Amino acid sequence: MRLRLPRRRGALAFFLAAAVAPLVVRDQFFLDGLILVLLWGALSSAWNVAAGYGGQVSLGHAAFFGIGAYAAALLSARFGQSPWLGMLLGVLLSIGAGLIIGYLSNRLRGPYFALSTIAFSQVLLIVASRWRGFTAGSEGIPVPFRPGFATLGLSHAAWAYLALGVAVLYFAVQVVLERSRLGYQLAGVREDEDAAEALGIASRRLKVLAIAVSAALTSICGTLWAQYVGFVDPFYVFSVDLSVRFALMSIIGGIGTALGPFLGSVLITSLETYLRATFSGMKTGFAGIYLVIYGAMLVLVVRFLPEGLVGLAARLRTRVTGPPATAAP
Amino acid sequence: MLALERVTKRFGGLTAVREVSLEVGAGELLGIIGPNGAGKTTLFNVIAGAQRPEEGRVRFEGRDVTGLAPHAICRLGLTRTFQIVKPFGNLSVLDNVTIGSLTKVPSVRAARVDAERVIDTCGLTPYARARARALPIGLRKRLEVARALATRPRLLLLDEVMAGLNPGELAGMVALVRRLHEEGLTLIVIEHVMAAMMRLARRIAVLHHGELIAQGPPAQVAADRRVIDAYLGEEFVLAEA
Repeated sequence: MRLRLPRRRGALAFFLAAAVAPLVVRDQFFLDGLILVLLWGALSSAWNVAAGYGGQVSLGHAAFFGIGAYAAALLSARFGQSPWLGMLLGVLLSIGAGLIIGYLSNRLRGPYFALSTIAFSQVLLIVASRWRGFTAGSEGIPVPFRPGFATLGLSHAAWAYLALGVAVLYFAVQVVLERSRLGYQLAGVREDEDAAEALGIASRRLKVLAIAVSAALTSICGTLWAQYVGFVDPFYVFSVDLSVRFALMSIIGGIGTALGPFLGSVLITSLETYLRATFSGMKTGFAGIYLVIYGAMLVLVVRFLPEGLVGLAARLRTRVTGPPATAAP
Repeated sequence: MLALERVTKRFGGLTAVREVSLEVGAGELLGIIGPNGAGKTTLFNVIAGAQRPEEGRVRFEGRDVTGLAPHAICRLGLTRTFQIVKPFGNLSVLDNVTIGSLTKVPSVRAARVDAERVIDTCGLTPYARARARALPIGLRKRLEVARALATRPRLLLLDEVMAGLNPGELAGMVALVRRLHEEGLTLIVIEHVMAAMMRLARRIAVLHHGELIAQGPPAQVAADRRVIDAYLGEEFVLAEA
């Protein structure tokens, strides 16, 4: 709604760079990083749809991620089906879960809503880790690798482009949402639910819809992530850590903006990769250092950059070129 | 246009609104006055669907709207403003009003044009790009009215939109309300600013302890003994006389 033109130029540069990079660099470590940056960015975008645009700040989105991961992994490991079919199943289950959680926590606002979403993801964690006969419980399940597009057994370069496609799609979803009637009304609900309701917006229905869409998008990436990494561990895919991570990337990048989640992902994902490479050889004392750094970053961003990296970019640009002309509608 | 039939709203042991019956005709401007805690805002909440009355019915244009959700009532053409203004703080004035317009104008492009027209009507054009949060209270009150107007109501409930305004802003708001009234909009106005109320309303209803203790033309209400005791006080009558 504001500063649209410059922001889109930044997005174009970002996605073009991501598209060209695999052609130039063949290094596996780099490609792995790129794939993860794009997937995490897309995941955080999915979170952003409900939380950033609709104000439904969930800390349980790992639930939908885990559903997507398990649906495809179980379908291919137990029944030999294509992970694409598993992706579809995951989406359907996640929409169902999103509707349930959206409906149940409809009256809850702010932190109470966030708490109820955490509880929901923890319930799924317990189910996945205890139902040994089917999910293999806390051992987790390896995803069988079968080369080919239909089975998502792809090279690193192919994965990079698949992740890029998903990232661009999710970016576009956010841009379309931002400009649509639905996006405006969601912004109203986010800013003040009572006022939105008094202005004719069916706020409860809208919130549930936003959560369901966000859940479906999260689930798709959950499936892709599991197929890419090749292993599903319930304590990871349903963890609160993961949910916090979706939120953190959007908040640091710029919550409620289309590019923000991707910028946040670049920062967090590369930082994490760096930290893992640097500290992995050390003793356990440093294993949790990323939590300290995340926490510090969050505090700094909330204090000094409440609009995240996107806001920072806009501010710097204003300083250089003067205030922007009136934003295009 | 609007008919309240023996509406009662209780909060636990407290009866905030007791058996209030009231009618508002099309094109009318009804003023509601009463001391703090008299139940004025609760009455608005009940009419607009934010609170469900324990007893009684609310009819809008012949249709029973008791217990409908606020958004449904708004879509029928009955919109309210909030005494404590509720701007969409992080959005621009234009976006605020556009959200109102979108209720009756589905296309975003058309809604923005419509919103610009409403903003102009309310004299907010110079502030259209400003963040709602950054506006001073006088302009936020006006934004509250603009946003409600954008939903194209046939009946508009204004809850103390003149409170806290400086004399210049007050004159502007009175002129705006009068103009809306002259254009045929039906209004119910809650207000403490008696001077403005006396000039605007043809009929005033007085609430006290949740009960309707008087209604009629301003002069008659101002002379009513019970109204003087409950709300106006001796001084005001002397000043007016």
